[in-house]
Amino acid sequence: MYELMEFVVRGAFLGVIYGLLAFPISLVFATTGSVDLAVGAYTVLAVAIAWAVGGPAGIVFGIAAAVLSSAIVGFISMRLNRPGTFDHITAVLGTFGLATFLESFILTVYGKDPMARQMFDTFWDVLGVRISPQALINIAVCLLLLVALYVLLYRTPFGRMMRASAINPLGAALNGIPVQTIWFCTYLLGGFLAGVAGILVLYTTGADYSTGLQLTISGFGAAIIFGMNSPLRGFAGGLVTGLVQVLSSAYLPGGWVTAAPMIFIFVVLALGPMNRIAATGGRV
Amino acid sequence: MMLRMRDRLRPAFILFIIIAALTPLIVGKPFWLDNSILIAVFSLMALSVGMSYGQAGILSVATAGFASVGAYATSIVTAHYGLSPLLGLLLAIILPMLLGYPMARAITRLSPMPLSIATLLLSMVLEIAIREGGDFTGGYIGLSGIPNLPFASSLEAMHVLSWSIVVVVIALYANLTHSAIGRAVKTARHDPLRATADGVDVPKILASYFALSAAVAGVAGWLYAHHLMYMGPDSLTIHVSIKTMLMTVIGGAQTFLGPVLGAAFLTMLTLYLPASEAQGMIFGATLVFVLLVTPRGILGTDWLKLLSRSKKRETPIADVTRTSERTA
Repeated sequence: MYELMEFVVRGAFLGVIYGLLAFPISLVFATTGSVDLAVGAYTVLAVAIAWAVGGPAGIVFGIAAAVLSSAIVGFISMRLNRPGTFDHITAVLGTFGLATFLESFILTVYGKDPMARQMFDTFWDVLGVRISPQALINIAVCLLLLVALYVLLYRTPFGRMMRASAINPLGAALNGIPVQTIWFCTYLLGGFLAGVAGILVLYTTGADYSTGLQLTISGFGAAIIFGMNSPLRGFAGGLVTGLVQVLSSAYLPGGWVTAAPMIFIFVVLALGPMNRIAATGGRV
Repeated sequence: MMLRMRDRLRPAFILFIIIAALTPLIVGKPFWLDNSILIAVFSLMALSVGMSYGQAGILSVATAGFASVGAYATSIVTAHYGLSPLLGLLLAIILPMLLGYPMARAITRLSPMPLSIATLLLSMVLEIAIREGGDFTGGYIGLSGIPNLPFASSLEAMHVLSWSIVVVVIALYANLTHSAIGRAVKTARHDPLRATADGVDVPKILASYFALSAAVAGVAGWLYAHHLMYMGPDSLTIHVSIKTMLMTVIGGAQTFLGPVLGAAFLTMLTLYLPASEAQGMIFGATLVFVLLVTPRGILGTDWLKLLSRSKKRETPIADVTRTSERTA
């Protein structure tokens, strides 16, 4: 029983990070209708830079690098989403190209070794479950960001403009909202969140150059479980994804450990709200 | 628009002439024959991407995954059980379809975006399955001792066989694209509601088309396995998918000869590229660059038209997006 408890707790700690990653994905989707597949790559970039630089400076540089690369993706997506050119799938392909670029960049510069750091050596024993102080930091940071984002989205003029350009870009533009700028800011915000997630990953589980795609997938899974269009639900989805991952690594035989979370996400994709758009091309 | 048979077969005919002209130059040169066969294999994979991405608008990252299903099917049948490679070819066509169709059916009730994520999941699960397959798939060590094709045992014969397959696939693909099915797929891609109103069963036709493109990738895997005579977990990874996608986009995803041109260009380029670690940077950056500069690819862009009106274009302030695209 204690064992199960420990796994559940650990899954929840992992889950808050996925929740943080789910936010940029669903935010970008809700605002621009496109999916940013490079989110995991920004995270790993933040991990690598924070790991190499070290200390508080590393944290700042790591997040800055993530924001910078998301700015590049934002720029690319803006160019690709121009009217008269192509559909969103092309923009997704563009983000995929950048994810490949970043993965190879991290491999070339920082090598194949896993990157991880630990801030605390001690563990707290709560009711027989070992908890690292880091876990509390993760949860505190995530909750803080969640509240900040809620305020930003629903209590500020900027958030209102953001929601307006998500619901009706043309109408928003006619009302004088700079839709393209808002979209670009969405990407930047996504990069910032991914950067923060990267710092937490560095001090929690660690990552290596190839973790990026897995993180994107986990974040995407978290984002779609309870619906893509509301970014705040991604946190709950993240908890579920983290739980599935930890529980499958605890109770399933070898080969299934990495496959099970993906199969889970596949099932969510097939059954989930994103797939319920009927054969009307989304005109519901 | 109904095209005459002669016009429909033109791309296949052009490719046939090019290959016929180049073949005498490379006969007896193993290095070039080897690369020529590889280009043919990648052309098939790039054509598969062209079908799914260019025609049906489905971004698939599982091209190499489907190819490895085909490659492993024939490797296991021939190396383990000593059966005919032709049975392997049959499996290499059928298995990817059996895998692709239900997946596309489960996912595309018309949303290309989740389907592209699903293909990413599929290729990751396939890679794990291959590694964990034990003796059956050769695990981490891979399968060696795959026989070469008895009816194409020399490099020259393999070269002729692989390019014949490419020519036949292009002929069939062009024919299909200009048929009622091809037009239905195009309509379904651009306006699903309109296609439904026209009586097209959109999810079914997109899933079938996707399965067909998977089968083409499977054939590529069949050739790959019998040419290299070895299959390992690192042979056809997700990076190969990215490479083929790049080939297709460079050449022109909606054209018939574009993927072949892209495959030839990138395969030759890879010969002169530095260490494989840095290749991802080059491929990723090139992909983004090509998407920004010529999103329709080299063969898909009307260059003269582009040059003559490039100065007149203006970008509106807001992007007017159709709802059907937004909810993808």
